Amino acid sequence: MTGWRLFNIAKLIIPTWLILLATGCATTQNNDGASDPLEPANRVIFDVTETLDKHLIKPIAEQYVDVLPVPVRTSVTNFFNNLGYLNVILNDFLQGKFEQGITDMLRFTYNSTFGIAGLFDVSTPIGMPANQEDFGQTLAVWGVDQGSYLYIIAPTTTRDITDQVPSTLLNPFFYMQGLIFAPISALSAINTRANLLEATKIRDEAALDPYSFTREAYLQQREFLIYDGNPPDTGYDDIFGDNGDFDDFSDAGDSNDSGILIIE
Amino acid sequence: MTLMNTQFVRLLKSILCLGMLFLSCFISAEAIEEEAIQAPVNELHTTLISIMQAAEKQSFQERYDIMEKTVLKHFDSPLIAKVILGRYWKTLDQTSQTEFIDLFNQLTIATYVDRFDSYEGETFKNLAVEQMKENRFMVKTEFLPVDDEPISFNYIIQSNKDKWKIISVIADGINDLSLKRADYSAVIKDQGFDALITTLKEKISALKPKS
Repeated sequence: MTGWRLFNIAKLIIPTWLILLATGCATTQNNDGASDPLEPANRVIFDVTETLDKHLIKPIAEQYVDVLPVPVRTSVTNFFNNLGYLNVILNDFLQGKFEQGITDMLRFTYNSTFGIAGLFDVSTPIGMPANQEDFGQTLAVWGVDQGSYLYIIAPTTTRDITDQVPSTLLNPFFYMQGLIFAPISALSAINTRANLLEATKIRDEAALDPYSFTREAYLQQREFLIYDGNPPDTGYDDIFGDNGDFDDFSDAGDSNDSGILIIE
Repeated sequence: MTLMNTQFVRLLKSILCLGMLFLSCFISAEAIEEEAIQAPVNELHTTLISIMQAAEKQSFQERYDIMEKTVLKHFDSPLIAKVILGRYWKTLDQTSQTEFIDLFNQLTIATYVDRFDSYEGETFKNLAVEQMKENRFMVKTEFLPVDDEPISFNYIIQSNKDKWKIISVIADGINDLSLKRADYSAVIKDQGFDALITTLKEKISALKPKS
């Protein structure tokens, strides 16, 4: 392995563990229940990213959508999703989902061969739809707390960011050599942003405070994925307080660990 | 002996009939209750499909008027507003509370009309009704686009004065109530309630097309 590759791996691992060391034990919750002790720093990074996105990345993604027809963009998405699918398979097995792991291995094999290097998703129509698994979900299944919320280019947590290590190392694209690496990286980034255009449009229309909105949506979506789309209903009761008639609702806000809002 | 046997069989039959009658009453009462719990969700879905189908023929305002009736009838807006604003709710006078509920309703209706603005054969499918705490149920449904993966749409339903009302919508795992609570509380905390009202008015205005 070249020194350059080792440098890249170190780049991935060191910040991850520094963040874990700095914040991993901090589970202080903010005023609306989310664990976000780094909120001031997160907000700065969020603002910088949003500005960069608004003036550079989003306009490029919009041009990309205008120029490329839907089937081409779908194939680009399929290609990159397929490259990243080995990480899904690993995490299937790490979570004890052996049957799903075997189906996902078949899916990867079918799409890589009959689907021409993953450009076409030939597996979904024959009953092998894509699954969403990653190392953050695996740690959650193993009982690791979500840790602190982080915003680094995209929303994550100190637990979920650990996925960067296996997802990068298991992606064949990471081992690609030569000049082609940079343009394919750029294509992957633009395609990812293009796929998020509708979601960010909805957020911009709905959110009064985009930072809080993004954090809440991300953390809830992660919970949904960890439980494979079936989180326990009891989690949704917490917001209403204990006695159900809401008369104690304002007092329930004093509990700082139940996700109940406190407005000072 | 034969007479006793006949009487015993008759008694047994009567007990069995009574038992079955009781069971069928119980099952049908449960079925009626389940239907009543799902009714607001079903009517919401019917309205959403109708405003999607009418998107090309009717104006935003016409579709807004249709949606408004359903939202005002089937959403427990005062309760939703109370939960979203948390303990800040009690510090507001009645005029401010009413203003917030009214703006919240307007934003909800305008958002529905804006998002459900085309029809390509989409449908909704009811999946299950599950009891939560107290007098509260979760109605689980799916939105089925024609060429895409189903999107989970779950509703928390609670009885209010003997009527079942929607108190939260959970789309693809994201609980609208929690989301708005986090979002609105950040604005109130940093800028105050008046800023929240101003921002809500701006959002509603941005969604409604300029005439």
